[in-house]
Amino acid sequence: MTIAVSTTPGRPAASDWVRRLPEYLTIWVPLLLSATHLIAFTLWTIWISFTPSTLVPVSGWVGLRNYSAVAASRNWQIALDNLLLFGSAFVLLSLATGLILAILLDQRIRGENLLRSIFLYPLAVSFVVTGTVWSWLLNPGLGIQKLVRDLGWTTFRFDWLIDRDMAIWTIVIAAIWQSSGFAMALFLAGLRSVDADLIKAAQIDGAGPIRMYRRVILPTLWPITITVIVIQLQFAISTFDLVRALTNGGPGIATQLPALVVYDLMFQRSLLGRGAAAAVLMLLILLAVLLPYAAWRYVQRRRAIHA
Amino acid sequence: MPITTTRRQLLAGSAAALALPAFARAQGAIKPRLTAISQWSAGSDGAAITALGKKFEEKGGVWQHSPVPGFTTEMMNKLRAQIMAGDPPACSQLKGPEIAAWSKIAPTVDLDAVVAAAGYEKVIAPDLAKLHKPGGKWIALPLQIYSTNMLFLSKRAMDKAKADKIPVTWAEFNDLAEKMKAGGVPYPIANGGTRPDDGQKFEAALAGISPTAYRAALMNLDKKALEGPEIKAAFVQVRKIADWMDPNVGAQHFSTNLKRFVDGDMGMMIMGGWAQGVLRNAGFKFEDFIIAPGPSDNGKPVFLLNADAFIFWQRKEPDLQAGQTLMAQLVMDPAIQTMYSQITGSIPVRTDVDLSGEGWSDGQRRTAAALKDAIASNQAVLSLAHNMAQENGMTAAMIDVITEYVKNKTIKPEQAAVRLAEAVESSR
Repeated sequence: MTIAVSTTPGRPAASDWVRRLPEYLTIWVPLLLSATHLIAFTLWTIWISFTPSTLVPVSGWVGLRNYSAVAASRNWQIALDNLLLFGSAFVLLSLATGLILAILLDQRIRGENLLRSIFLYPLAVSFVVTGTVWSWLLNPGLGIQKLVRDLGWTTFRFDWLIDRDMAIWTIVIAAIWQSSGFAMALFLAGLRSVDADLIKAAQIDGAGPIRMYRRVILPTLWPITITVIVIQLQFAISTFDLVRALTNGGPGIATQLPALVVYDLMFQRSLLGRGAAAAVLMLLILLAVLLPYAAWRYVQRRRAIHA
Repeated sequence: MPITTTRRQLLAGSAAALALPAFARAQGAIKPRLTAISQWSAGSDGAAITALGKKFEEKGGVWQHSPVPGFTTEMMNKLRAQIMAGDPPACSQLKGPEIAAWSKIAPTVDLDAVVAAAGYEKVIAPDLAKLHKPGGKWIALPLQIYSTNMLFLSKRAMDKAKADKIPVTWAEFNDLAEKMKAGGVPYPIANGGTRPDDGQKFEAALAGISPTAYRAALMNLDKKALEGPEIKAAFVQVRKIADWMDPNVGAQHFSTNLKRFVDGDMGMMIMGGWAQGVLRNAGFKFEDFIIAPGPSDNGKPVFLLNADAFIFWQRKEPDLQAGQTLMAQLVMDPAIQTMYSQITGSIPVRTDVDLSGEGWSDGQRRTAAALKDAIASNQAVLSLAHNMAQENGMTAAMIDVITEYVKNKTIKPEQAAVRLAEAVESSR
C-alpha cells in the first residue's frame, strides 16, 4: 500500500483530510473488511482444527489428534502424491505450452487477435464446464477413443480416464487446456515489451531467430515466468471444481487432491475438526510456495532501489 | 386525572382485544403449521412430497416446505446452519444413524405418545424402529423403504443366455453371468461407477453370503467379524462382479447405461428398488426386465434396508407443535404411505399395507414380500452404502476401501479385508 504521501512538510491541513475522506473510505473500509474476514476465518479454522468438532463446531482441545488422523489417512497420502505430480506436471507443461503459443503469435501473423481470443477463451469457462466436457471427451466409450476407432483404427486405446495410474494426467490435460492461454497472454505481453533496440542490436550482430530468442528475448522473460509459476502453483494446490467434475477423485480414490479431501471431511463425513486440520495443512503448503515468492519480490525491490 | 384513567383503560381494553384472538387460538383453534426441509425438489420425489403437503393442507394445516436440491449433504448443510442459528425447521429429512448423531446437537420432539396411539411400532422392522428412537424415545419417523440389493435381469440378455431361471444364490448368479458371457452379452453386469454403487456391490455380496456376518461386521463393527472369512469371501465375489462390468463407465451414474442393459448388452444389475422408477421414467416397459431379491446363499431373501425419514425438532410455537403432531399422524397413516410409495416406487414402511391392489407393480409386491420374509427370518439388515448402518464418517472410510478395491484389480481380497478392518479401527 503506497498511498500518496503528503508532499508538504509538516501536518496536512484539516481541509486536506476532509477532501481525502472518500479516498480513505474506499481504500481502508473494504481492505479492513476483507482482511478481518480473511484473518478471522483463518484463525477460526485453525482453532477448529484443534477441537473435537464433528457435526457442529464445539470447544475443547484434542491437540494434534486431528492432524495425525488426517496425515495417516490413505486419502490424504494419495492426495499429496497426486498434488506433487499434478502440480509439477501442470505448471511445467502449461508454462511450455503458453510460451510456445506466445512465441508463435509473436511472429506478426495475420488474425492474431482472433487466435489470441481463441487461446484465451478457455479461461472464461468455468472449471465445472471444463471438467464435464473433458469427462465426455476422455471417456473411452464416448469420446476420442471411440472416434478414432470408428474412423478405422480399431485397436486405438486412450482410456486414461478409467486407468487409475493415468487418470491424474487427464486432470493435467484439462487444466492445461484451461489455463495455458493465461500463461500465453502474460508471455506475449513480456515479448512485446522487450526493448526494440536490443533486438535490432542483436540482428545487426547477425543473430538468427532461434539464437535471438534463446540469448536475448527469453532471458528478459524470467520475472514473468516466476509470476506465472506462482499463480499456476497456487491454482494447482487449490484445485477442486475441475477434478470434482472430471473424475470426482476416481477411479476409486486414485485422483484425490487436498481440496477434495477437505470438502469430503467437512461436508460429506461431517468431521469438521479433521476437515479444518486438512484445510490448515493446505494453507501451509500454499505458504511454502508464497513465502519464498514474497521474499524474492522483496529482494528484487531492494535491489531495484539500490541500483 | 380522570382523563388519564380513561386513556389507560382504553389502552388496556384495546390490548386485550388484540390479544384475544391469539388467546382463543391457543385454546384449541390453532391452525397447525409445518416448516420442513428436504432434498426432494423434482421428479417423483418432488411430486410425492408435494402430494403429502396437499394432504397436510386438506387437514387444515399450513405447509411450508423448502426443498434444498442436490445431495443429502447439501440439505444437511442448510439444516446445520438453521440449527446453529437457533431456528431449526419443525421437521426435516434425515435418516439412519444420522438421526442419533444430530439429535445430540439440538433438542428433538418426543413422539412416543403419538406413535403409541397409532400402534406403529408393531408393524415395522425392529432394526428400523431402533434407528428412530436413539435414546429410547421416538424422535423421528420413517416414511418409505427401498431395498438396496434388488436384482434386475435384462430379458434380452436372459434370452441370449437361453436362461429363464432367476438366480437365488451367488453360485447361481455366477453361473448365469458366465452363461450370459458365453451367449454374447459383452458385460453380464450393468453398473455405474459412483461410490455408493461400488458400496452396494459389496454389501449385497456380504449380506447374501451371511446376514449374520453382515450384522456383526458392518452394523455392530465387531472386530472379530470384520476379520472373519465372510468378509474375504464377499470381496472375492465383488471381484467377480467387477470383472463382468464395463470398465468404461468410469464415474458415471448407473442410469447412464440403462439402455444397454435393456438391449441385452449388459445382463444383470444389483441396484436399489428406485431403479424401477428410473427404468419406467426412461420409457422402458415391465416386459423388458425382471426384478427379484438379491442373491442369498441360504435361499431366504436378504433385505438391505434403506429408509427415508423425518426428524422433528423442538419448537416453542403452538402452531408448529400442532403441525408436528399432524405431520406425525400423516406419515404413519397407511393411506398416506400408499400414496407416497406409489409415486416414488418405494414400498411402505408399514408391513401391514396390502399391495395387491392397483397402482402397485410386481417389483414393489416382490420387494414388500421379501421384506416380510426377511424380517421373519431376521435377515433384514441396514444398508452401509446408503448411510443406514453407520454414520457418514465411518461409512465413507469403509466405502473408500471398497471403491478402491473395485477399481484396482491388483488389490487381493485378503488385503482388502485387512484394509477394511483398519479403516474401521481408525474411524472409531
